Amino acid sequence: MAANVMQDRVGLGWRPELAAGILSNLDRIDFIEAIADDYYDARGVAALKMLAVQRPLALHGISLGLASTVRPDRKRLEKMARLVERVRPECWSEHLAFVRAGSIEIGHLAAPPRTASTIDATAANLDEARRIVGTSPLVENIATLIDAPASDRDEPAWLSGTLAASDAGLLLDLHNLYANSINFGLNPYDFLARLPLARIQQVHISGGRWIDDGDPQHRRLLDDHLHDPPDPVYDLLTKLARLAPQPLTVILERDGSYPPMEHILHQLDRARGALAQGRSARLTA
Amino acid sequence: MNTPDLERFLAKLYVDPAARARFLAAPYDEASRAGLTGEQCRALEKIDRIGLEMAARSFAKKRSLKILERGGRR
Repeated sequence: MAANVMQDRVGLGWRPELAAGILSNLDRIDFIEAIADDYYDARGVAALKMLAVQRPLALHGISLGLASTVRPDRKRLEKMARLVERVRPECWSEHLAFVRAGSIEIGHLAAPPRTASTIDATAANLDEARRIVGTSPLVENIATLIDAPASDRDEPAWLSGTLAASDAGLLLDLHNLYANSINFGLNPYDFLARLPLARIQQVHISGGRWIDDGDPQHRRLLDDHLHDPPDPVYDLLTKLARLAPQPLTVILERDGSYPPMEHILHQLDRARGALAQGRSARLTA
Repeated sequence: MNTPDLERFLAKLYVDPAARARFLAAPYDEASRAGLTGEQCRALEKIDRIGLEMAARSFAKKRSLKILERGGRR
């Protein structure tokens, strides 16, 4: 395998089910990402601080709903701010999604209409998040089963516009990019090439499964984090490593159906291999 | 053209099967009844119907999992 001279890092999402395996294999895990929302009630924060001493750590939010024409809930932002203050992570991140409207909690990440209005409002929300938390979040592209309603542009254009309107770095989820490309007729490599690659700081990789509505012709790829990243995600990672000029931190996400730890570590090694292959091609290009 | 009203309307479609059924039977009329602009109503007439049902099912599953998790913590 070619040496990776770019100081790329490969890590894993912290989950209680994986705790023992992670702690006994820290020499093979460069980076940890913890779900911020799991610690807002202060339980477990001391252990998280200990973990942040042992490995660089990111706090990953899932409920702020920053991609919205509604201002984010200040109390939620203040919880994130308190957690960041206590844990002192390397960075924090959140999704480009809306998750509620008025009194309605959607329950998960919903794609906002891709318009100039949501770009401007998201940029304003990111600025408010920076002021309250103290640093800007990295922002993550989401997977969606529905082509974002009432949109007037495609996802690469919307993501690029949002990044241009803010100072946030990009947490690029390659499985989300892949799934949305497959589901909505985009070429994933074109999608990748249209993003401001120099803004990418972190990368998520994960897996999913095909679902349909009873008609196999209506199948779509669901990002469920219950499966290994498919080959195209590793291929996209190699392509990204070839194109991006900066070091990348790659994080494997797994939220259930946990395989043995050695299998997960093999996935991390595979990511390292994909990165090294892309970096090598970059050097020889 | 996105507004909080549009987000609220979409959120309702995602979580309320009856509202979704009414909308799918008459998209423009339902969106208009919710106070959305003509441009928004016309855009919603072209909604991804397959994706809407799949996304709604996925959101419902996530909500029920969260309820189970909260129950487990008590």
